[in-house]
Amino acid sequence: MRSTVRTERLVTVAGYLAGFGLLFLIWHLAATTLVRSTLFPPPGPVLERAWVLIEDGILQEQVIASLKRIGQGFLLGSAIGIPVGLAIGSFKPVRWMLEPWTEFFRFIPAVAMITVAVIWFGIGEESKVFLIAYTTVFVVIISTAAGVGAVGRDKIRAAQCLGATRLQVFRLVALPATVPYILTGMRLAMSNAFVTIVAAELVASNDGLGKMLWDARLFMQIEDIFVALVALGMLGFATDRTFRFLIRAFAGRFNATV
Amino acid sequence: MNVRGYERGFNVALVTLDGVGKTYRGRTGAWEAVRDFTLDLAEGEFFCLLGTSGCGKTTVLNMVAGFEQPTAGRILLDGRPVDRPGADRGVVFQGHDSLYDWLTALDNIGFGLRLRGMGRGERRAKAEHYLKMVGLTGQGAKHPSELSGGMKQRIQIARALANDPRILLMDEPFGALDAMTRAVLQGELSRIWAETRKTVLFITHDIEEACALATRVGVMKRGPGGTLKAVIPVDLPFPRERTSDAFMSVFRDVHALIHDEIHGAH
Ligand SMILES: Nc1ncnc2c1ncn2[C@@H]1O[C@H](COP(=O)(O)OP(=O)(O)OP(=O)(O)O)[C@@H](O)[C@H]1O
Ligand SMILES: [Mg+2]
Repeated sequence: MRSTVRTERLVTVAGYLAGFGLLFLIWHLAATTLVRSTLFPPPGPVLERAWVLIEDGILQEQVIASLKRIGQGFLLGSAIGIPVGLAIGSFKPVRWMLEPWTEFFRFIPAVAMITVAVIWFGIGEESKVFLIAYTTVFVVIISTAAGVGAVGRDKIRAAQCLGATRLQVFRLVALPATVPYILTGMRLAMSNAFVTIVAAELVASNDGLGKMLWDARLFMQIEDIFVALVALGMLGFATDRTFRFLIRAFAGRFNATV
Repeated sequence: MNVRGYERGFNVALVTLDGVGKTYRGRTGAWEAVRDFTLDLAEGEFFCLLGTSGCGKTTVLNMVAGFEQPTAGRILLDGRPVDRPGADRGVVFQGHDSLYDWLTALDNIGFGLRLRGMGRGERRAKAEHYLKMVGLTGQGAKHPSELSGGMKQRIQIARALANDPRILLMDEPFGALDAMTRAVLQGELSRIWAETRKTVLFITHDIEEACALATRVGVMKRGPGGTLKAVIPVDLPFPRERTSDAFMSVFRDVHALIHDEIHGAH
């Protein structure tokens, strides 16, 4: 049993490595044979440049700056979004009152809120954390509320005729049944957070990967741009895998769809 | 009627349905699903409610369970009106969506005990006892997704029994199973009933199933206004010999009643 699981994992990891290898190979071929321009460097010089930036501690600094903002905003947004989503899903009056809010704000992308955020909070940490929290909160609310609504009627009835109080139905049935939905919402929100952080740092920041992209453009450091892009892709990939792993660990056993 | 008389235990009926009716009102207008349904269920009996699809069987069971309210008449349990679901009426649902996927089989069985605040150790021991009763010893650590359809229904039965309800309400619990599994589970249910003498209201549209399990079979007239058409006592010893002449004779009686329903003679 255990060894088949391990073999499966090894195969998966090998698949990822091969996939990335192919991506870099195509990039290399495209840059050396098709485009052949200094504006599109092949992976070799880019990785060399990345190594220099890592040795100088610059790349880590930018990555950590961005990740810290994402982490803080994401946690804040989830901490607000989960209880609000549960309330919307559980109580009709709350739904009637708050659904217009969620339906209104989710069509105003975080990117459009950058201007307001900077006016309100300046270009310090607060504006970025606010934007990430903003982009997180509505996705989490909507999928949490949908999760509560999707709890099977028979599950609730079964609890009722086993003697459950309303609070017990909520705590022991509705909540655990909703966990996979909450995690899926958070996973979606996380990918939004990556989009938002770059946009926010491009416009208003003193550090972070977005700022790195912006500076590199100003000084025409083409390799630096690609270093930042690759770093973003890698980070996003790693975060998403972690989330998928968590969803599997918490919910995968009984929810084949995630 | 003297309700206080019931409270003092003068009435032998565990459940009383007294002129019960249910009319659904919705987009498509009013639909009278059940009309003037009257029945007394005695303590310890196994009552099978038999009827064609859509005649109102589930509606009756849902009202006894307290999931739905009658629009006419009344339902009493131990002389007290039923107005909401409660731990005194255990329900086994037709599908297996009612099991908790995030709990093991054993924790599903012990769920009602947990609601009552029973300690972990005692709960486990009791759940194990009922796991054994439904023939699943050693499978308690599995999650519902790792169990077959028949096993899930066994867990549902164990979960309801572990809560020690006054009556067990079962809505076509074996309807979705293949014929062989169904026969096995019918045998097990019969044995469990003989052991526990739990009062059972069992819904089915399978005549043989009804004749094999019931101490009384109630046949419903089809809707609109589905109601109890006849009640036939089945005085055969358990376990029932399905090929015996006596069994065949009961089967024929019930079949004759149902036949009219299927072929439209009112
Ligand atoms: N919530 C509802 N709203 C409106 N009509 C309903 C509702 N539930 C049931 N009915 C109607 O009441 C009638 C009886 O339904 P019920 O589910 O009790 O039938 P049943 O005897 O259990 O059938 P089956 O054997 O197919 O399960 C049907 O005509 C059905 O359309
Ligand atoms: Mg039904």
